[in-house]
Amino acid sequence: MKSKIRIAVPNKGRLKQPTIDILMRSGIKILKEERVYDSETSNPRFQVSFMRAFDIPLYIQYGAADLGFTGHDIIVERDADVLEILDVGFGRCNLVVAVPKNSQIKTIEDITDVPRVATEYPNTSRKFFTSKGKQVEILAVRGATELAPILGLAEIIVDVSTTGETLAKNNLRQIAVVLESSCRFVCNKIAYRTFEREVRELIDTLKDGGE
Amino acid sequence: MPAEVKYQRHIEEKLRESFTLWGYEEVRSPTIEYLETLSTDLGSELAQSMFKFQDFDGRMLALRPEMTTPVARMITTRMFSTPEPIRLFYISNVFRYSRSYAERGREFWQAGVELIGCDGDRADGEVISLLASSLRELGLNQLRLDLGHAGLFKKMQKSARLDSEKEQIFRTLIGRRDRVELEKFMSTNDFPSELKKLVLDLCEIRKLREAASALDRRSSFRKAKRFARALSAVADVLSDYHLEDEVYFDFSLTGRIEYYTGIVFEASVPGFGFSIGAGGRYDDLLWKLSEIRTPAVGFAIEIEKCLQALHSQGSRLSTIPDDDVRVLVNSISNERAVETASLLRKSGVVAITEVTDRTRKKLIEYGKLARMNYIVVVESDRKKPLVIYDVQSGTKRRLPTRGFLQEIRRSRAE
Repeated sequence: MKSKIRIAVPNKGRLKQPTIDILMRSGIKILKEERVYDSETSNPRFQVSFMRAFDIPLYIQYGAADLGFTGHDIIVERDADVLEILDVGFGRCNLVVAVPKNSQIKTIEDITDVPRVATEYPNTSRKFFTSKGKQVEILAVRGATELAPILGLAEIIVDVSTTGETLAKNNLRQIAVVLESSCRFVCNKIAYRTFEREVRELIDTLKDGGE
Repeated sequence: MPAEVKYQRHIEEKLRESFTLWGYEEVRSPTIEYLETLSTDLGSELAQSMFKFQDFDGRMLALRPEMTTPVARMITTRMFSTPEPIRLFYISNVFRYSRSYAERGREFWQAGVELIGCDGDRADGEVISLLASSLRELGLNQLRLDLGHAGLFKKMQKSARLDSEKEQIFRTLIGRRDRVELEKFMSTNDFPSELKKLVLDLCEIRKLREAASALDRRSSFRKAKRFARALSAVADVLSDYHLEDEVYFDFSLTGRIEYYTGIVFEASVPGFGFSIGAGGRYDDLLWKLSEIRTPAVGFAIEIEKCLQALHSQGSRLSTIPDDDVRVLVNSISNERAVETASLLRKSGVVAITEVTDRTRKKLIEYGKLARMNYIVVVESDRKKPLVIYDVQSGTKRRLPTRGFLQEIRRSRAE
């Protein structure tokens, strides 16, 4: 018997529910959602594992999970060697550079000395500022990045923004877009070969929004 | 760690045996070479990953990031009078920076072969089947090989008239297997419709002969038919090796290394997320190094990846056959201990002389922990027999040295 195909699903956050929904519309209903890491599905070929969206590229690159859903921003940050097969459409957001509204910095060009940048995306941020020829000090934080400029930890933040509301609420202004992102359907390179037929069938239904 | 080294050695020995039986001879090359040589046609990704530093006179040096270029350099400088084809293999460490969170190591072990001086499909077939057979000899199950063609891919890119930036995007889209984006890209970049169909067809095809007939049918660019013939010739020779059903066509496999000009291939096993070996044909590399036109084909197996893949298939350190007999030799007279140990070693027995003054009880404890088969106590009086503790059974006997050796020989023969 062929082994089951394991799909990694975000265990919380804004990608979780849309992922569960699109899988259900594609005929893969998750049987146990609450407080479990692993669950069987209504389709005997697939099982799902819940994990942090940030860890999904890692699990897939190593083949610990075969398929998964996670943000393009996260795949880039993790520099993961996985197949980004499909843009599933939801979870659109931008990774942006923001500064306090009263800051002297209006554009990236205005950066002169070596400001501190607080972010959950140190690798992507470093690459971005280097490509703009700007020297910055990157401070990696875990969540609540908007707090950093308020308390004076950093002059600049790089964070995800969907509507700009959170930035505005915290008196921050977007000055550049680092990356446009959305949720991607990703696959381990070898698993694609092993399960090609199943993966392609799933891509076809996901492409139509799971209808 | 000793156990890990033993496992790795075991794999290396198995690979060495396979390569040798196919007539390949082992070479070694310097760890450090000129950066310029090592970078020849490597491609930016690998070139950027090299550890670079300066020689005393300011010339740039680097640690080798792979072995094909060093071996090619060796042939052009040291082996130009060797009759071709030349069959060489290596088992070496290579060095790469890796920014990836997944690969924390900087030093990797590779075992690979190079078949230099012939460009026929029979040479391609030999190298592919040597890769398959040496991996199978290691005990890997459900091995699968995927084969693409770097020359075909480069030709198609050329006939689509893409600039180098767009070439990169095209390659990435093919590699990512993103059909939706690929179709969009080809439409916006005015791919001729026949070529577009061919690309989409090739992305789906998994059989070499089907790929060949698709190329034959849609001769949408110059020399398409030539590639069709090349692919079916490879399929023919693979069927001679009974490998046709295990080798799949994969258009997305274009080779990340620039120097590939012909077939490229990759070995994997299901359930393990990385490829374990890869290779291809590089007919221009020796020309670029030395202006001697010499075609060549080869592959490299990633030894650490092999270990992990074997582990994922349930193979364990303990499954390696271990027929060593280990004996701890103890005596009040060090001279007698040394003498007996040397006799045992001459008979191929691992003999360790006791170098501390611990009690008999502690000695036996140590013997158990250190995986000794026997602890031998040698009397100072030459005429007296040896006292032999069998560590596993806990029994004690007296035997003369010659009798003990005969017994070990007999138990080995069984």
